[in-house]
Amino acid sequence: MPGISIRGRLLMSLLPLFIAAEIATGVVSYRYVLRESHQLFDYHLQQMALSLRDQGAVMTPPVPNEEREQFDFVVQIWNADGSKVYLSQTRSRARLPDRATLGFADVVTDGERWRVFSTLARGRVIQVGQPYQVRERIAAAAAMRSLTPLLVLAPLVAIAIWWLVGRSLAPVDRVASDLRRRDERRLDPVSDERLPSEIEPMVRSLNGLLERLQHAFAAQRAFVADAAHELRTPITALKLQAGLLGRARDDAQRADALAQLHAGIDRSAHLVDQLLTLARNEPQAQTAQAAHGSPSAQVDLAQLVREAAAELHPIAEARGTTITVDGPQTLVLRGDASALLSLVRNLLDNAIRHGAGGRRIAVSVGFADAGAVARLLVDDDGPGISPEERERVFDRFYGRATGDDAGSGLGLAIVRAVAERHGGKVMLGESPLGGLRATVELPALSQS
Amino acid sequence: MRVLLTEDDRMIGHAVQTALRQDGCVVDWVRDAESADAALLAGSFDLLLLDLGLPGRDGISLLRELRARRDATPVLVITARDAVEDRIAGLDAGADDYLVKPFDLDELAARMRALLRRSAGHGSAFLEHRGVRLEPGTREVTRNGQPVSLSPREYAVLEALLLRPGVVLSRAQLEDRLYGWSESVESNAVEVYIHGLRRKLGHDMIQNVRGVGYFVPREAAAPDEA
Repeated sequence: MPGISIRGRLLMSLLPLFIAAEIATGVVSYRYVLRESHQLFDYHLQQMALSLRDQGAVMTPPVPNEEREQFDFVVQIWNADGSKVYLSQTRSRARLPDRATLGFADVVTDGERWRVFSTLARGRVIQVGQPYQVRERIAAAAAMRSLTPLLVLAPLVAIAIWWLVGRSLAPVDRVASDLRRRDERRLDPVSDERLPSEIEPMVRSLNGLLERLQHAFAAQRAFVADAAHELRTPITALKLQAGLLGRARDDAQRADALAQLHAGIDRSAHLVDQLLTLARNEPQAQTAQAAHGSPSAQVDLAQLVREAAAELHPIAEARGTTITVDGPQTLVLRGDASALLSLVRNLLDNAIRHGAGGRRIAVSVGFADAGAVARLLVDDDGPGISPEERERVFDRFYGRATGDDAGSGLGLAIVRAVAERHGGKVMLGESPLGGLRATVELPALSQS
Repeated sequence: MRVLLTEDDRMIGHAVQTALRQDGCVVDWVRDAESADAALLAGSFDLLLLDLGLPGRDGISLLRELRARRDATPVLVITARDAVEDRIAGLDAGADDYLVKPFDLDELAARMRALLRRSAGHGSAFLEHRGVRLEPGTREVTRNGQPVSLSPREYAVLEALLLRPGVVLSRAQLEDRLYGWSESVESNAVEVYIHGLRRKLGHDMIQNVRGVGYFVPREAAAPDEA
C-alpha cells in the first residue's frame, strides 16, 4: 500500500493551517476595527450632537444635499413639549424612536440596531444616531483588506511547497534509480552526495546492507569456485582409475585398478559430504536452515565423543594409534547433534592423520569456567602445527594446498564453522603429549 | 622413455605412474616442486609431466627456472586451472603442451609421444630406420613389414636409440631409460637387451663404440632394402 506522499502530506496539513490562520486574522482584525470604530463613531456622534446644541436652533441641514445619500447619520431635534423640530433626511429613511435617553443608547427600530447620542439644550433634545450596520460594514471591509495579501499568498505557498519538496526529494529519485540498477553482480554503494540529511542515514544503511550482501555473495562465489576446483582433483583421479581399469591386461591389474577406483570413489564421496557439512554450517547458510537445523536441541557431547571415537577406532588402530576418552558420563548442551558429531569426528580424523607416527590420541570433555563452558580437548603426539600456520589451517582447502591429500582440506574449516554456529570457538596449541592440542569451547547449558 | 612425474595428489600420481609403467615408460614420481627440481638436476629425463597446482612452490616457477637454466626437457603441463590465461601463462613459462584436469590416460600418452617426437626433431608419428619401423602409439615394431616381438625394455632401448640416429648413448644413459630410482639395475642388462635387439633386427642395426656406448648408424642415402 503506497503511503501518502510527503508533498501531499505537507499540502494537506499546511493549507488548512494557513486557512485557519487567515480566518483568525480576519476575525481579529474585524473585532479590532469594530471596537476602534465604536470609539471613533461614538465620539463623532457626541461631537455632532454637541455642535448642534451650541448652534442653537438648527434650521439647515448640517451636510450638503448632494452628500445626503451617503449620509449615515440621523439627526432629530425635539422641543420640550415633544414636538419634532428637525429630522434629517437619510438614505435609510429611518426614524429614531420618539423617546430619548440622554447620553449613549442602543436602540432597535424597524429591525435595525442604532447607536444614538442624545443631549439636552435649552429645552430641546438633540439626538444623533447611526446604524450599527455601518460600523460593522467598515470593520468587515477592513478585515477583508487585511486578508487580501494572505489570500493571494496561499496559492503561492502551495506552489512553493510543491516545488521545494520536489526539489529536496530529487536526490531520493536518483537513489531509487541507482538502486534499481543494483543486482547480485553489481552491489557497489549508492552515492550519498547532496542528500537531505533526513534521508542520508537511510541511504547509508542501504549502502551498509549492499556491502554486507557483496561480501556474502563474494564468499559464496569463492566457496563454489573453491569447491568446483577441489572436486576436479578427485574426479581426475576417478577418470584415471577408470582408465586403468579399462586397460588392465590381467586379473591382478584389474583387481588393483578396481581397488584404486573404489578408494577414489570413497574419497570423492567424503569430499562431497564434507562440502555439504561445511555449507550447512557456514554463517550465511544459517538463516536458510534456521527452520530445521537450529542448534537448540539437547545434545550429550560426552556421548557424541564416545560415538565418534568408536567410529574412528578401526582407522586409528590400523595406524597403530590408540584413542582414549576422558570425561563425565554425560555433558549436555544445546546444539545440533549431527553438526557436533562431525566436529568431533573431524578433530579425531585430523589427529589420526596428522599425528603421523603418533601413538596416542587423548580426548577429554568437561566443564570449564564454573560450568559455563563445555570444553573438548583433542591431543595428539604428532608433529603439531607451527604457531604461524595455526590460523591458516582453518582456511578451506588449506590442507590440500600443502599436499596433504589424505583429507578433504575442509576438516578444520568445518570444526570452526560448527563451533562458531554454536556460539563457541576453536583454538590450536601445543599438546602435553608433544603434538597438537585442539581446544573447542562451547556454551554449556546452565547447570541449574 | 624416462619420465619425471610431478603430481601432489596421491591417487592421480599413482594412476598415472601405473599407466605409464604399463606402457613401458620409466616413471619417477615426486610430489612437490623442490623434489622435482632436485630430480631434474640429478638425472636426465625425456619428459617432465608437471602439475601446476603444487603445494608450496608452484609449477610455473619451477618451469621458469628450468627454462632459465636452458634445460630443454620437454614439459607437459597438467593443470586444474582451465582459464585461457592460465594455459597461456603455462605455455609462456616454457611448457610444450598442456592437459586440463580431468584428462584421459590415452590422451596423456598420445601427447607425450607427440612431444617426444617433436623434441627429437621428428615430424612423423613413427620411427623408421633401415626397414625397422616403430609405432610409439601402439608399440608395434615391424621389420620389412613383418611384426617383431620385443620386450618392453628392448623396446625402450630401441626407441631411445632411434629417436636420435647417429648419437651415441652411454650404458648409463640407456639404463636411465630403463630403470626408475626405486629399481635396482641388473648388471649387464643393457648388453642383454642390445643382444636381443641385434638378434631380432639384424646385427648391424645397433653399433657399438667400445668404452663409449651404442648408436644406430645414420641412414645412408636410401633405405637398405635387404
